[in-house]
Amino acid sequence: MTDTAIVVKNLSKVYGSGDRSVRALDHVNLAIPSGTVFGLLGPNGAGKTTLIKVLTDITDITEGDASVAGFDVRTQSMEVRARIGWVAAEVILDDDFTARENLWLQAKLQSLTNWESRAEDLLKFFSLTDRADDKVSHFSTGMRKKLEIALALLHQPLVIFMDEPTIGLDVSTRRMLWDIVTGVHKEFGVTVLLTTHYIEEADALCDRVAIIDQGRILAEGTPSELKARVKADIVQLETTEAIDPGKISALPGVQEVRAQGNDWMIRVAVADEFLPRLFAMVRTDQIRRITVEKPSLETVFLEVTGRRLGQEEPMRDVRKFYAQMRRARG
Amino acid sequence: MKIPWSPLWGLYAREVLRTFRNPFVLLVTIVQPFMWLAFFGSSFSLLPKAELEALFGASNYIQFLLPGVLSTSMLSVGMFGSMSTIQDKRFGFMKRILITPTSKGTVFVTKALGSATRGLVQFPVMVAAALAFGVTFQLTPLEWAAWIVGLMLLATGFCSLFLAITARSTDWQTPGVVSNFITMPLMFASSALFGSSHFPAWMAAISSVNPITFSALLGRSFMLGTTTDWSYLGYLAIFAVAMLAIGYFVSSRWLRVE
Repeated sequence: MTDTAIVVKNLSKVYGSGDRSVRALDHVNLAIPSGTVFGLLGPNGAGKTTLIKVLTDITDITEGDASVAGFDVRTQSMEVRARIGWVAAEVILDDDFTARENLWLQAKLQSLTNWESRAEDLLKFFSLTDRADDKVSHFSTGMRKKLEIALALLHQPLVIFMDEPTIGLDVSTRRMLWDIVTGVHKEFGVTVLLTTHYIEEADALCDRVAIIDQGRILAEGTPSELKARVKADIVQLETTEAIDPGKISALPGVQEVRAQGNDWMIRVAVADEFLPRLFAMVRTDQIRRITVEKPSLETVFLEVTGRRLGQEEPMRDVRKFYAQMRRARG
Repeated sequence: MKIPWSPLWGLYAREVLRTFRNPFVLLVTIVQPFMWLAFFGSSFSLLPKAELEALFGASNYIQFLLPGVLSTSMLSVGMFGSMSTIQDKRFGFMKRILITPTSKGTVFVTKALGSATRGLVQFPVMVAAALAFGVTFQLTPLEWAAWIVGLMLLATGFCSLFLAITARSTDWQTPGVVSNFITMPLMFASSALFGSSHFPAWMAAISSVNPITFSALLGRSFMLGTTTDWSYLGYLAIFAVAMLAIGYFVSSRWLRVE
């Protein structure tokens, strides 16, 4: 495989046509290095899943080019599909089958021969050997996720797509899955493209992260590079009474002040220098709550989109978006 | 074109195994035609034998009816094939399949053949039930084989037709609606339940090109020991191949993944 596992050039995806069309991806450009865990971070409806669908040839490309593992997605889709694995947001297994039978079916779909020892190794790696002959309908969510990742790895893929792999999982299962993703990456040396809307997940797992919103890539880099873009600390302040915003803006080191009622978001160069000045100006009994955020992917997202992750704009209401998509697809 | 034997076998086996592992589906598949035989087949049980002979060419109406009921049952297995496909779309399994190097055409073929196989499960059950109702079987091995092959071809054709019609659908209700729409005219405008000699001309015309008629007449000739028109088997093969080809084309282009 080339040094770049996934190349996306000027890629757009439009569902439907005319007035009813929805642009789910808008001129996306990406180059994902081989052997990395790459995160696509964005809110629901940002275009993360659509990008995976396009790259796995589940849906067609409207405009632009994409290649995976060195093969063109449009013209060499079978070659692409032989080299990719997929872990869905919702666990998708054949519940009527045992774990071993699910692996058997996956081997048949991939036209594998001599896959049995690999399957045994994977069952062992994921601690599923003892339950290999049990129907997967009797498995816990964590075990089902593990088996799904085992299926994705059976044919030794070069790239694995993980679409919101921890969505809906409890905290302990999510942590377990993080360990698995890290372990899989180290053990099998596979490139992972992971979509998530959990900031901490992207920060913990990904070598590189792209922030996607409304179908556009807004920023891309290592988590450290992205955080370095935000040359400011964010002070969140809630006051008990109205304060003159001009006074706060006039304090040294203040870059930006946004107020909504008595809730304040103040961008400052260095919070440690700003806070004594603030406390000198505002009485402590006027402060109901104050928090300081050092640069994080959360603040990066805020910086590039102007809003917090999970704080959807009215027009980006997820239900509306998907309803619009369904109409556009006919 | 290289035949993808491995995914074909994997998905076909999945279809068949899922049937045998789902007791409810298996029960309905078996009980439905059995009830036809029991209830509809008994409707002429008090008719004098001479009249039965005159009307149906058999002293037992079930002996006449059995090949027809088996043939019409192959219509409903098409509906189950469509429902299984829609289930795969809605639960995401279709995506899991199509993210591997397995084509939509392969998925279609395995669904059609898997559903047809499911339909054939009814055959031994119905034969056993007919025996219990006093029907006698004096078929040669060749006739048994030809009858089963004919039913398999009919089921393959109808399953392909259903899958082609519902390729774009993700709605659970669609197969049922399509089934209701197709089953009644095809069942009654055939020789499955009665001979077509008393049909009005327009119904006889439909019956004469209806594959259910070919299958019913083929089986009936074996059951009643009358002369077999082997061309029926040829017509059924043409029907199955044509529907497979149409379904393959439609599914390859328009099968929805989700």
